[in-house]
Amino acid sequence: MSAGTRAVAAIAIALVVDIACSSEPRTPRPSTAPPPIESDISKLPPAVLPDLSQMDNAIQQQINDRYQSGAYGETGKLLMAAEYFDAAEPFYLRAQALEPNEMRWPYYLGHVYLARAEPTKAIGSFERALSIKPDDVATLVWLGGAHLDQGKPELAEPLYARALMIQPKAVSALFGLGQAALARREYARAVDQFEQALAADARESIAHYPLALAYRGLGNTAQAEAHLRQQGRVEVGPPDPLMTELRGLLRGPVAEENRGIRAMDGGDFKTAAEHFRRGLELAPDSPSLRHKLGTALSLMGDTSGAFEQFQETITRSPDFAQAHYSLGVLLAINGRIPDAIERFSTAVRYQPDYVEARLRLAELLRQTGRPAAALPQYERVMTIDPRAAEAEFGYAMALVQLKRYEEARRRLSEAAALHPERKEFTEALVRLQAIAPAPRR
Amino acid sequence: MNRASQVEPEWFTDRAEESGLTFRHVNGTEGKFYYAEVIAPGAGLVDYDNDGDLDVFLVQGGSLSASGIRDSGLGIREPKSRLFRNDLALNADGTRTLRFTDVTEASGIVSNGYGMGVTTGDFNNDGCVDLYMTSLGPNQLFRNNCNGTFTDVSKQSRTDDSSWSVSSAFLDYDRDGWLDLFVGNYLSWRVESNTPCFTPSGRPDYCSPNVYQPQPSRLLHNNHDGTFSDVTTASGIAREFGPALGVATADFNGDGWIDVYVANDGQPNQLWINQRTGTFRNTGLLSGTAISAHGKAKAGMGVDAGDFDNDGDEDLFVTNLTGEGNDLYVNDGSGLFEEQGARSGLGAASRGYTGFGTAWLDIDNDGLLDTLTVNGAVQTIEALRRVNDPFPLHQRKQLFKNPGQGRFEDVTARGGAAFELSEVGRGAAFGDIDNDGDTDVLVANNNGPPRLLVNNIGNRNHWIGLRLVGAAHGSPSNQGQARDMLGARVGIVREGGPTLWRRARSDGSYASANDPRVLVGLGPSTTVSRVRVVWPDGETDEWSSIETDRYTTLREGGTK
Repeated sequence: MSAGTRAVAAIAIALVVDIACSSEPRTPRPSTAPPPIESDISKLPPAVLPDLSQMDNAIQQQINDRYQSGAYGETGKLLMAAEYFDAAEPFYLRAQALEPNEMRWPYYLGHVYLARAEPTKAIGSFERALSIKPDDVATLVWLGGAHLDQGKPELAEPLYARALMIQPKAVSALFGLGQAALARREYARAVDQFEQALAADARESIAHYPLALAYRGLGNTAQAEAHLRQQGRVEVGPPDPLMTELRGLLRGPVAEENRGIRAMDGGDFKTAAEHFRRGLELAPDSPSLRHKLGTALSLMGDTSGAFEQFQETITRSPDFAQAHYSLGVLLAINGRIPDAIERFSTAVRYQPDYVEARLRLAELLRQTGRPAAALPQYERVMTIDPRAAEAEFGYAMALVQLKRYEEARRRLSEAAALHPERKEFTEALVRLQAIAPAPRR
Repeated sequence: MNRASQVEPEWFTDRAEESGLTFRHVNGTEGKFYYAEVIAPGAGLVDYDNDGDLDVFLVQGGSLSASGIRDSGLGIREPKSRLFRNDLALNADGTRTLRFTDVTEASGIVSNGYGMGVTTGDFNNDGCVDLYMTSLGPNQLFRNNCNGTFTDVSKQSRTDDSSWSVSSAFLDYDRDGWLDLFVGNYLSWRVESNTPCFTPSGRPDYCSPNVYQPQPSRLLHNNHDGTFSDVTTASGIAREFGPALGVATADFNGDGWIDVYVANDGQPNQLWINQRTGTFRNTGLLSGTAISAHGKAKAGMGVDAGDFDNDGDEDLFVTNLTGEGNDLYVNDGSGLFEEQGARSGLGAASRGYTGFGTAWLDIDNDGLLDTLTVNGAVQTIEALRRVNDPFPLHQRKQLFKNPGQGRFEDVTARGGAAFELSEVGRGAAFGDIDNDGDTDVLVANNNGPPRLLVNNIGNRNHWIGLRLVGAAHGSPSNQGQARDMLGARVGIVREGGPTLWRRARSDGSYASANDPRVLVGLGPSTTVSRVRVVWPDGETDEWSSIETDRYTTLREGGTK
């Protein structure tokens, strides 16, 4: 791994922590009454805006503008984007009554009901959308998913099959057919569908997991385990222009941050940087946004830009540990080891359980001839995260540097037994035997 | 009166307040959305005084910041966890009256810190059950002195894990006859490191767990001398961990050794299969119990293991976050599972709720395990906030009946008035609090009072109650008492139905301790042919004459 690649990887670790610090929205609870599909708008419940006082100003203004223009559907979209699902529903119902041939309103309503965990209503709305636009692949896939969640794979399958007729390589439809087959315990068919889905999209997909279960059902444990090892986090969903448009509606720091994160997840660092910059225009003091901008720039190869953003983050928010860590990584890559050590030390001072920062600090201390100072850092890492084999290895190497060979040998032997998949422990034991043979017993 | 005009009684009645459970959980909320304030509490059902009825332990929170409850003027000073003694009275007409007395001070239990949960087990084999309380700081082990008092032995026993622990479990994983301790740890969080989180519209709210780093759970081995050794690394448990919230121990692969299931919040769950060498191997993914069938990790909260389909193995029920639906993992007997949330109807019916405490329980003693979940959101419910609800996280409990055909029936509406209450439910402890042969439920609410849901319909069928105990150690202090053999499995052989397999356990649910006795509904059977017990050390005993509709103590070695 090159120095630059290492820097990117290390900063990406910081990003994982940082991304996690943005609020992942959770879905509100459902209400109970089913919505009538009503053509007489006067009979519909009133469309009332929620209390906007606590909302971001930019979003509040957008909602007010749309509401006052009387555009029910558009207002519903914005409310839905802000996750005001209950408030969005009557706006969509009115839009649907006013424009009965417009598929967007029942489609969005279907998603509102999914978010509110009202599957029967969701199915009704998606069916209505489909009656208006029968070839809409996204609607077919979402409707199929709703039936699967109800334990009705037999109702889902024809929908996925229709989607495949329209888009023969639609990954989400292939995936859905695999899920339906798995639910029916038709394992061979499930394997076939999931394999096709993965062939159409070879990314580290979540599809490896149900595929592994299908192989397990066939008694093929070796293939099952092979796919479990490939299990990724890339989700499988239909191309969904309507929902993509909806997610892009909100202007606000949190919304921009979330969009930036999604772009980062997709490897589009340039777009991510743009979203983070837009977010910073609205919330210039957000350390999280600025740190993410620095990370995106670093991943784009703009090291000086990244350096500048990390510095600025620290200036504005001196206790933001991730920025100290990321800056430390860049300093270390540029050979400024004492400065890097200072940054890592600061990061762990503000966030004592920051495993990556403490591990880097320990590594630099050991590599710069201070193994005794490195030992407690490694120990702390191992306490915080007993999985950290790197810390075990570093600890043993620090002992070697201190000529505490027997202790090092013991640690390496224990670590080799605990982490049989890590060859470096055994190799280090062999090297240690060469430089300091174990006493004969 | 004709049958049509008869009104069915509510299945459960809340008797907490009238029976003297005067307690209110304090989460210390100050409007700062501190993450920890929405995670607790649990509750415990424990016969601490060995008088044959279950007493109650309620876990308390408190203030998370220095300027908290004590200075708030609310009249709440240094809230502490409480122990209530059950003074159950059997009336002349055969009815029972529950009456609880707060004996916390007399018991010597002084809880420190911000409490999360409780688990129970007799770690020193003296026949008196001990309490382990998990907290947002050092946990506490209260050793029962067998005279109504406890001694805090946390430090000397080396069980004072300072991580943020929620659920824990006593288990004898190495079959040495002494209870070891699994401590489920959650996240690395402190008030000072609380991260502000926001909704997409910019409003502050509670964070999701991925904001903080998970902490490794711990396995503590009982040294038989009042101390424990941390064997987390040596046992292999350290190799994988997530933010643990629920813990259930049982023999999931049928090899006679107790395994551990851990429900993690937002990360894959773990199924630690006992390798019989003091080590464990996580088979979560291959077993099908780690993530949803869609391939995504869910927010696991509560969990229970039980044989809901009466095929002789332990199935799992896991509660999850709103929008996800709860999971039903059906065991094929070898430790491989199929998730049947959709097929059973339990998944879709729970999708609108964030589930915490749960258990398999036989509500009406028909021989089929039903399930109950205690719910409450962890992030603001917008519809409640819009009507200015001061604590907009509350949800209703849910009750599902198992008709035996694989699909469950939502019977929440028949549960009674307590099921119409919308509360921020967290822990739930299950047991027969009034010794009348059916399962009652103690619900621990966040920032609210507990509920004691007394079962009114268990008398529809016959039952047997079993206390499975080991050989008495016979020390002078315990008057020959023996401890509950957590993990023991019991098979009830009956005419007219399959053998019912149940187990003695205090773990499961969420942060709570259950009745260790085994209560088995007999359904249409009126008699029991045989009772077979498989003890945690693998030995078996069999009894041929067990009376129904009463509790019987079965002692390892074959005596009653």
